[in-house]
Amino acid sequence: MTDLPLSGIRVADFSWFGAGPIAGQTLAAFGAEVVRVESEAKIDSLRVVQPFAMNPDGTFKTGYNVSGYFNNFNAGKLSIQLNLNTEKGQELAYRLIERSDVFLTNFTPRVIEKWNLRYEQIRQVNPRIIAAYAPMQGLEGPHRDFLGFGAVLTPVTGISELSGFPHRPPIGVGTNYPDYVVNPGHTVVAILAALRHRERTGKGQLIELPQIESVVNVLGTAVLDYLANGRVQTRAGNRHPAAAPHGAFRCKDDFESVNSPDRWVAIACRTEEQWRALCTAFGHPDVADDPRFATLSARKANEDELEALVGSWTRDRKAEEVMELLQAHGVPCGVVQNAQDLLERDPHIRARGYYQYLDHPETGRSAYDGPVARLSETPGYHRAPAPLLGEHTWEVCTRILGLSDDEIADLLAEGVLT
Amino acid sequence: MSPSALDGVRVIEFCDEIGSYCGKLLADLGADVIKVEPPGGGWQRHTPPYFRDQEGVDTSLWFWVHNTSKRSVVLDLETDEGRALARKLALTADVLLEDFPPGYLAARGLGYEELHAAKPSLVYTSITGFGQFGPHAHYAYSDIVGQAMGGVMTLAGEPDDPPNMIVGNQANICASIDAAQGTLLALLYAERTGKGQHVDVSAQEAISMAQETAMQTWDLQKRNRVRTGEKGMIPVALPGWGVYRAKDGWVQLMVLAPAGKDFPALVDWMRERGMAADLDEEPYASLCAQLSMPFVTQVMTNPESAMAVIPQLAHINEVVKAFIATLGAVEAYEEGQRRQLLVGLVSTPKHLAENAQLRARGWYRPVEFPHLGVTIEFPGPPYRLSETPARIGRPPRLGEHTAEVLAELR
Repeated sequence: MTDLPLSGIRVADFSWFGAGPIAGQTLAAFGAEVVRVESEAKIDSLRVVQPFAMNPDGTFKTGYNVSGYFNNFNAGKLSIQLNLNTEKGQELAYRLIERSDVFLTNFTPRVIEKWNLRYEQIRQVNPRIIAAYAPMQGLEGPHRDFLGFGAVLTPVTGISELSGFPHRPPIGVGTNYPDYVVNPGHTVVAILAALRHRERTGKGQLIELPQIESVVNVLGTAVLDYLANGRVQTRAGNRHPAAAPHGAFRCKDDFESVNSPDRWVAIACRTEEQWRALCTAFGHPDVADDPRFATLSARKANEDELEALVGSWTRDRKAEEVMELLQAHGVPCGVVQNAQDLLERDPHIRARGYYQYLDHPETGRSAYDGPVARLSETPGYHRAPAPLLGEHTWEVCTRILGLSDDEIADLLAEGVLT
Repeated sequence: MSPSALDGVRVIEFCDEIGSYCGKLLADLGADVIKVEPPGGGWQRHTPPYFRDQEGVDTSLWFWVHNTSKRSVVLDLETDEGRALARKLALTADVLLEDFPPGYLAARGLGYEELHAAKPSLVYTSITGFGQFGPHAHYAYSDIVGQAMGGVMTLAGEPDDPPNMIVGNQANICASIDAAQGTLLALLYAERTGKGQHVDVSAQEAISMAQETAMQTWDLQKRNRVRTGEKGMIPVALPGWGVYRAKDGWVQLMVLAPAGKDFPALVDWMRERGMAADLDEEPYASLCAQLSMPFVTQVMTNPESAMAVIPQLAHINEVVKAFIATLGAVEAYEEGQRRQLLVGLVSTPKHLAENAQLRARGWYRPVEFPHLGVTIEFPGPPYRLSETPARIGRPPRLGEHTAEVLAELR
């Protein structure tokens, strides 16, 4: 077996929904043994929401193991069922933490307290533990117990106010954006940094990642514009203060694009050369010198007209053709792709083998997002599909927790392993 | 002063817009990040807004937030001397970060193969729009193109509008965050084994993870998720669900979601303020009592089931709208949350600067700019490490450390 960066590291993954589990999945892909602790008493809702795998007759499969939402965030992990509402469940949690290098959770502070999983408590059994907590608002502070999840975080952090067209209400960005890269990614960065510190000093530590702080951090310019200049930015659609044209332009409809026939390209002209190249590519080199558009400031001043003009050039062409045409002229341009494109039509993604296809006992062969980066010597990969709920309860209890078969049978009978 | 997690790590950064946030994350965690910049600076130094709107290479706020805690060295990679110094500098590093188009540094004697041969432990991270290989590896890139190609724009916006981009160059941010993870993984490995490697990050791939469920929906159901705008995924307008206008801003209500109290708790609040109108009367009272997640699920799976009550739902929603319109946005957020209702403030930058939680936690960090004679509060780090806290150091002026760093090389 290849030696991977995190070979020999064990992660006690007490997380749920998106941000926590994705962090655990990245650690697993690069060699850590990640034990996902779950319970039917507090089921991870992602196990029971769409999209579900389908039966051949077109109906949805049912149960805890068929959601692509859950599966795509939990590949390569072991799943143990442990009811943390029971005293014995908490004892076993401690035993797992004692034998782990990293503890990971994004449960609320209230739940963490109820289950006795505060850092001050778990460090008693394992002073070397790196304990990462990713609550919505933080472990302390006046809003500590505010409710929320990704959908609330998007408005609260400013993403909604600052994204989209100015004539529309702040409707958000169509997804719980912070859950999938920003928060899990920052969590992993912090854990890896703490692992390095432990390598050098032997010391574990507490990592607190308040999701609001993590997300506002990536909107720093808008916040700084207020803090330094007193300016309150708002949403500006697809426009850019130092580029024009800059936006999405409609192309010819494509009915092979399933239930999404309207096709668009994104175009960004950052330089005068790119603007000239765009005009030339579309067969209108003279327009580049039109006084309404000849300079960036002229194009910004006449942006509605500019966008209408560029839109008239793209409207009757296939999106892929526009992309290839403009790219051949060195203009940043890309199709506004959907998932069908990414999985089946984008030759580049395919050539890079980004998606990993894994055989799962209930969903069949399914696609998983690849690891966060390609490491030439120690490439990460999903060693297994997402676990079935409790698939490894027995294995974890015996191999990691050191329980006997009789003890396990008793715990099962007592409802601790549920 | 407490130690830093990346004490003793030296990073040479050849990054502009795509990768500079990666360098910032490493620098704030204590790495010595030396940013190598072209004469005149790169794009980021020339991107508005500027401090007090004073355009200049040292005043771009875009540059500031993505380049905290770094040192800056100006080298001209188009000259032999510049390349030779860059190579010498790179070989003093544990990590090299770069976001040039693939092949650019290799053509200047600074590619992975060449530097790896000279220093096998070097971690060499390339952060680009489309990665180091593949038919689009050389495509011209800009953030919006990454958002488009990565599948997130198609999900954002009203169906009748063009797809929306997400604010803040998020394809670059995602690429940088993924690069920071890949770099630290490779660094841990190099420190253990002495073996460096090439880390390849594609912004398109990085942001594509943020498609939420779109990828799996196609894979499992051969259906594309499309942008659904204000309505979201629910085909019927439901009261207590969506964006509402307050007296001085907006709030997002998700009262029907399972994490908080159900709709009747909102009606209680409205009643206390004398704004419940006729919601305590039939047919509204019994409908209000039913409004919770099972109702939403039913509507999502079978929109027809809600047809009969759509006029009542619309009326209830009007009453909620009228109530929210009497509240300040912050008041609606804080009081709603106190009542355990899922209410989110649609924060403006001003709200964020004044946010009671961020302020109480001392999240904003003062950064001194002696040459400007000011101290400016910066956004704090994304995480708190109890033993090795991150620090936000002043972003460097262009070439501020050229003499000092070149002197170290001699």
